[in-house]
Amino acid sequence: MKALPPAWHGLRREWRLPELRTLAAALVLAVAALGAVASLGARVEQALLARAAEMLGGNLGVSTDYRNLPADFSAEAARLGLQQNRSANFPSMAFHGEASQLLDVLATDPAWPLRGHAQLAAGNGRVYDGHGPARGEVYLDQRALDALHLRIGDTLQFGGMPLRVAARLVQMPDGGELFALAPRAVVNLADAEAAGLLGAGSRASHRLLLAGAPAQIAAYARWAKAHLPGGARLITPTDVQQRLRFAFNRASTLLRLIALLSALLSGIAIALAARRYALRKIDEVALLRALGAPRRQVLGLLATRLGSIALAALAVGVLLALVLAALAWHLAQALLPQPAPPLSIAPALGAALAGLAVLLGFALPPLTRLASVPPQAVFRRSLGALRWRDRLLYLLPLPVALGLILAQGGGLKLSLGLGLSLIGVGAAAALISAALLALARHTAAHAHPALRIGLASLARRRGLSLLQSVALSLGLSALLLLAVVTPALLSQWQRELPPDTPNWFALNVQGAQRASFARQVAQAGGTELNMLPLVVGNLSTINGVPIAQQHFADAATRRWAEQTLRLSWSTQPPPGNSVVAGHWFSAQPRMAEVSVDRGWARRFGIKLGDTLGFQVGEQNLDARVTSLREVRWDSFRVNFFLLLDPAHGHSLAHNWLASFHLPPGQATRLQATSRALPNVSLIDVDSLLARLRGIVVQVGTALRWVLGFSLLAGALVLVAALTASARERRHEAALLRTLGADRRQLLLASIAEFAMLGAIAAFTGALGALATGQWLALNMLDLPHFIVPLRPLLLAMLVTVSVVTLLGLAGTHKLLSSSPLRILRQE
Amino acid sequence: MLEARDVSKRVRSPGGDELEILDAVDLCVPRGASAAIVGASGSGKTTLLGLLAGLDQPSAGRIVLDGHVLTDLDEERRARLRRRLVGFVFQSFQLLPALSALENVLLPLELEGAGNAVARAREALTAVGLARRLRHYPAQLSGGEQQRVAIARAFVHQPRVLFADEPTGNLDRRTGAGVIDLLFELNRAHGTTLVLVTHDNNLAARCDALLELLDGRIRAVQA
Repeated sequence: MKALPPAWHGLRREWRLPELRTLAAALVLAVAALGAVASLGARVEQALLARAAEMLGGNLGVSTDYRNLPADFSAEAARLGLQQNRSANFPSMAFHGEASQLLDVLATDPAWPLRGHAQLAAGNGRVYDGHGPARGEVYLDQRALDALHLRIGDTLQFGGMPLRVAARLVQMPDGGELFALAPRAVVNLADAEAAGLLGAGSRASHRLLLAGAPAQIAAYARWAKAHLPGGARLITPTDVQQRLRFAFNRASTLLRLIALLSALLSGIAIALAARRYALRKIDEVALLRALGAPRRQVLGLLATRLGSIALAALAVGVLLALVLAALAWHLAQALLPQPAPPLSIAPALGAALAGLAVLLGFALPPLTRLASVPPQAVFRRSLGALRWRDRLLYLLPLPVALGLILAQGGGLKLSLGLGLSLIGVGAAAALISAALLALARHTAAHAHPALRIGLASLARRRGLSLLQSVALSLGLSALLLLAVVTPALLSQWQRELPPDTPNWFALNVQGAQRASFARQVAQAGGTELNMLPLVVGNLSTINGVPIAQQHFADAATRRWAEQTLRLSWSTQPPPGNSVVAGHWFSAQPRMAEVSVDRGWARRFGIKLGDTLGFQVGEQNLDARVTSLREVRWDSFRVNFFLLLDPAHGHSLAHNWLASFHLPPGQATRLQATSRALPNVSLIDVDSLLARLRGIVVQVGTALRWVLGFSLLAGALVLVAALTASARERRHEAALLRTLGADRRQLLLASIAEFAMLGAIAAFTGALGALATGQWLALNMLDLPHFIVPLRPLLLAMLVTVSVVTLLGLAGTHKLLSSSPLRILRQE
Repeated sequence: MLEARDVSKRVRSPGGDELEILDAVDLCVPRGASAAIVGASGSGKTTLLGLLAGLDQPSAGRIVLDGHVLTDLDEERRARLRRRLVGFVFQSFQLLPALSALENVLLPLELEGAGNAVARAREALTAVGLARRLRHYPAQLSGGEQQRVAIARAFVHQPRVLFADEPTGNLDRRTGAGVIDLLFELNRAHGTTLVLVTHDNNLAARCDALLELLDGRIRAVQA
């Protein structure tokens, strides 16, 4: 504690040092960027989860097949104060006069839905938000009303009891199922129980949906996981839909990436400022050492001063993060789901810790060199010899950066990928810069006198120039990644759900009906018609062993094996499918061949060369697994787990599955198709598509906000990094001015120097952004067809050179118009 | 050759008051002669030197350097004039730390766009006894050696006038004496006019003229 009084004494004086202000500002920015992004990100993620909960109809669900959940599941929910909704889902016939129809029935208590909206239409067409039907009532969708020739207010027969049609079902939280095969009905759970539809032998699946505060939901999820009976499973909003899960993963990966890059940018500025500070402090440290202060005391003094400034900066950063996150949310809230989840302080505090790590990791290497300043440096300024231990310390930012990536939940793959990219960009920038600087030095001798001075001074300050160009390259790489690559990734993702995405599906089109069906669809205004063969059968054997004798890992797998299987065939891998093992079908294989989805193969432990036996009606077919496919299940195309080779597939009994796009509001034009081809089932997925598109748009909006802020942080840090060497340049320019350099010479020299520095940084930074962006798209965001857009990248390079030159010139601008005597006296 | 007539310099203090640093200074140094400006700290010596070299403008008066009226020229024209006619030696040497001895000496030649620059810089360093230190950086040189590099830089483009601000202020007596010998030797060899500011009586005594400043006014002139 002996170091305290002089430390406090010097604090006010220290605060006037520009490099300490830069260091503090960079720290504030790092914490603000990380904190704001983390706070806003957490809030956006919560909002999106809330949105997904609306699709599920609750914050959490437990579902079982064929039997009710044990009573303690409900008791535990009641103990935690959660809202509950019990429901069951099953197929059942309904009758009205002569008409009968198989319905997809949801039997629910009146609490349904706990989250989201059940949109109902009254007899007069008025649409309103409703809840589960009262006893004796039923809601039907338009298809059910049409099929049974019913109107609102009529009565139908269901499970032996009369039910009054109380409303038309417009939209309901549907658990994210892609589509229901049969027309839908919602009845009261007690009616279904009274009708004996849920008793022993029923094929109903039961679901308990819960809603409440996040902490209670999490507690319930933990309890339920430990008590789940066989055949039961938890449903969370994130796994409502595979498609939604993809969306969440991408959104959070992008958010984390943006925050990380901002923090690393700040780290670069901190390192540059700390280096400047260390150089400035040589005299003071040497003097204190010469006056007899032990090394430890001197370092303690510096640590206390820096620590005080860092603490203040961290506090300001946390505050700024919270304000910015609240502001960004406020500005974007019109586009985000309501109501706003609470703003948590935890992510901002976490960011402060991360900021501290960045400070230690990036500032420690240059500052520890002060420890080796010898007392004799009072006579001659020197940092002392660079020891191996110190050299190793310069690698410290690397584990700090990797740790930061890991701590942000980036996972080992993202950490290593980003870490290696940064090392790669840094190493390439150092090598290219060294080569270009050597070239500059060589060519300087033959250049215009002013250019010669600029290029020569850049080349002569080799160490500093290298440091700056590497720092600028890394910074620019991060900025370009943010500015050019991320929006492109985002729009590529949005393009995956273009306006003409198929929004109708048709089942059971017979081979002879294909031409007439296509005509009908075209007449109704449908486009993008795509027809695929569909074979419905069962898996009978795996490697000759019947399914009944197979040992499966769990009940779910057995259920998968026993359920009806849909197969198709194709001459080439369909869009969104890629062969990841084996080879695509041969032209005319002797034995049937089958291509299997990788996830499906994993579930059954199937590998290349295995034989699968199928039963389709009276036909049996053995097919050898010749390829495994990676299938993009979020592509909104019709996909199949199993694809047969066309020659053998064609020999099986099959009909056709069609998908097409129909402009919204044109559904009535398909009535003619229904009448002409009564066996064809038409399914509308427009409402689901609209919701999915809404989520993508919202994620995009949130990302742009976060991105804009991070870009600002990055740009400010870039300025800080560039001005780190301003003092050297000012001193040099002042001396040149005294020796007679005129304004034009200084200006040209500065332009040459900064343009060269900017060009080196732009070149290596663009290469880094290109490589990292491509890697991210392929490995982290699952966008195999993404190509980094070259034109904006080239434009960004030009802008970079101009901005670096202008910023550099701004630093020397004052010098050009003031008296050289004054400048020399101030130095 | 170098002439100052009625030169005054006033600056505004942070408190808003006007401070008179130089008050109606007159002086004349003939071509090839040497003059020492002496006086107590704060008497205005460095300010006068800066004005005579065209680094700053006086508040009033007229300065003529080698036939050019400095007080009629803007900073740009004065810079061009300095490049051709003036050399500097500073108390704190003012070498650029990132440049080697040779590169520091090259600076004035590069500014002028002079031909055969490297050979001339090498020659200048040889003349001050540093032929073996061409590639050394300032931090690797002693104080005396650094000042000799500064002298080589001051003479390399053969200026008409050399201004030196306390050239021995940072050196011990023996090294200082060596540097002074060198300065006068080069002064004679090139016929350069020498104007220096110093506290060193021995140095002042070797000059052709001595001007003593007291509170911004010339108190005594000895020739």
